[in-house]
Amino acid sequence: MTDLAALSARALAKAIAEKKTSSLEAAKEAINRLVACHELTNCIVALEADAALEAARAADAAVAAGGATGALAGVPLAHKDMFDRKGKIASWGAAIRADRPAEEDASAIAALNRAGALQIATLHLAEFAYGATGHNYVLGHARNPWDPARITGGSSAGTAAAVAYGAIPLGLGSDTGGSLRLPAACCGVSSIKTTWGRVSRAGAMPLAPALDTVGAIARHVEDLAVALAYLAGPDPRDPAAALLPVPDYVARLGDPVQGIRVGVDEKVISEAHPAVQRMVEEVLAILQKVGLQRVSCAFPDWQTLDHLVQLVQLPDASAVHAAFLRTRPGDYGPQVRARIEVGHFIGAVDHLTALRARGTYLQRTLDRTFGDADIAILPVLADPLPTIAELDIGGGPNVQAAMGRVVKFTRPVNYLGLPALTLPVPRNGGLPNGVQLVGRPFAEAQLLAVGQAYQRKVPPEIATPLF
Amino acid sequence: MAASEKEPAPARQVGSAAGADMPDEHRARAKAHAAALAETAASVALELPMSADVDEFRRVLAAGAKP
Repeated sequence: MTDLAALSARALAKAIAEKKTSSLEAAKEAINRLVACHELTNCIVALEADAALEAARAADAAVAAGGATGALAGVPLAHKDMFDRKGKIASWGAAIRADRPAEEDASAIAALNRAGALQIATLHLAEFAYGATGHNYVLGHARNPWDPARITGGSSAGTAAAVAYGAIPLGLGSDTGGSLRLPAACCGVSSIKTTWGRVSRAGAMPLAPALDTVGAIARHVEDLAVALAYLAGPDPRDPAAALLPVPDYVARLGDPVQGIRVGVDEKVISEAHPAVQRMVEEVLAILQKVGLQRVSCAFPDWQTLDHLVQLVQLPDASAVHAAFLRTRPGDYGPQVRARIEVGHFIGAVDHLTALRARGTYLQRTLDRTFGDADIAILPVLADPLPTIAELDIGGGPNVQAAMGRVVKFTRPVNYLGLPALTLPVPRNGGLPNGVQLVGRPFAEAQLLAVGQAYQRKVPPEIATPLF
Repeated sequence: MAASEKEPAPARQVGSAAGADMPDEHRARAKAHAAALAETAASVALELPMSADVDEFRRVLAAGAKP
């Protein structure tokens, strides 16, 4: 009997198309596993079982009639609850969103609908996606499927937990400062944070539009390629969506990776916990085994980048929330409110300086960091997987410093707008963690090819509680 | 008292966070954090050409594309 939970989305779609299983069977199993996952991790915002089973029956009927199309036809998925769907209200992980239903689907949702995917639930996220740990003082905190005492990472917490647990093979998320990479690393799965502008944000909750990106989390790198093939491309609904051609991500999974130069900035990496530095070395050794070449590289001063991204993000997010913060401040959780409030004290000149400097710093990165390297490796988390209690600090005095440590290696990449693939490190029987491979602009296909080669050495796992 | 003789309403507190109802300790922390970031902005501004503009980022991103 096929273990549906272990299949990639791509393999499951093939099995459904070949009638080796059915969409209905897959949806039932996904719902059962998702409910079990929720009991362990608090991953669900809203389960949509009846609608999903009805859609699965329709998908099976289409297969029987020879009319099923799309690379994910009949595959049950679930996504971070921040994407518009016609006639529904996305919670955004917050108490404040009870106004009016969406008039049309978010472009990312529409893309996966074109792929034939089903949606069985909406999933946990940090309040307004403004949190890097999975804490949410409205929905309750998300818990890690490997160890429920530990964080899932955020903000795409529910997607990462559900994917890691094998409830779904793939789900959507977003990344403004690390929100796809951190939960993927914490839960031991993969994610693709796309180049700014590669995927339309139309209909996705805005956090800080100058930095916001939409991407996906999956156990199998090949599923990230399948999803991106539908998600990427221009969109008149998002003026920031790039007009550049979209490569055939799936075909390019098999690109040779021999000789690709992976840059190591030892100064930046040395700021991680020694155990995390060892994980980076272990991944580098595997990448060298599959043919990559290790070289040195140097990013622009990392603390400067970290300050610049905050000078963009904090006022950008505060502006998005200005009306709600004035009229309904009590409806915000303590941590999000504390972070949003800071943005009101960033001067306009400083904000614009950070925006004006962005092109200069990106050019410097391309010339120097990527002068002799094709991709660069960085940690995702600075430390081994923290507990929920350790970071349960609400809006207290240490919130900026503690959250700053969590996103230390992720948010500067958002300032540069570059794509980043998260890969789980070998667990060696312990807790998960991850590294990110950062690429040149719009080099997602190259990153995915490297990730595919890596997974031949480090196959995806399904999470089971270790403690 | 006639309408024209009413005391003028107190001036509205100036500043974008005025309506945010922030506790004093939050306000102090927020100002301190913003001040630290402002130092970096001042330093970065010194090295930026006057011609640097906010659209340059998108141009560099597209020019550096490696699909």
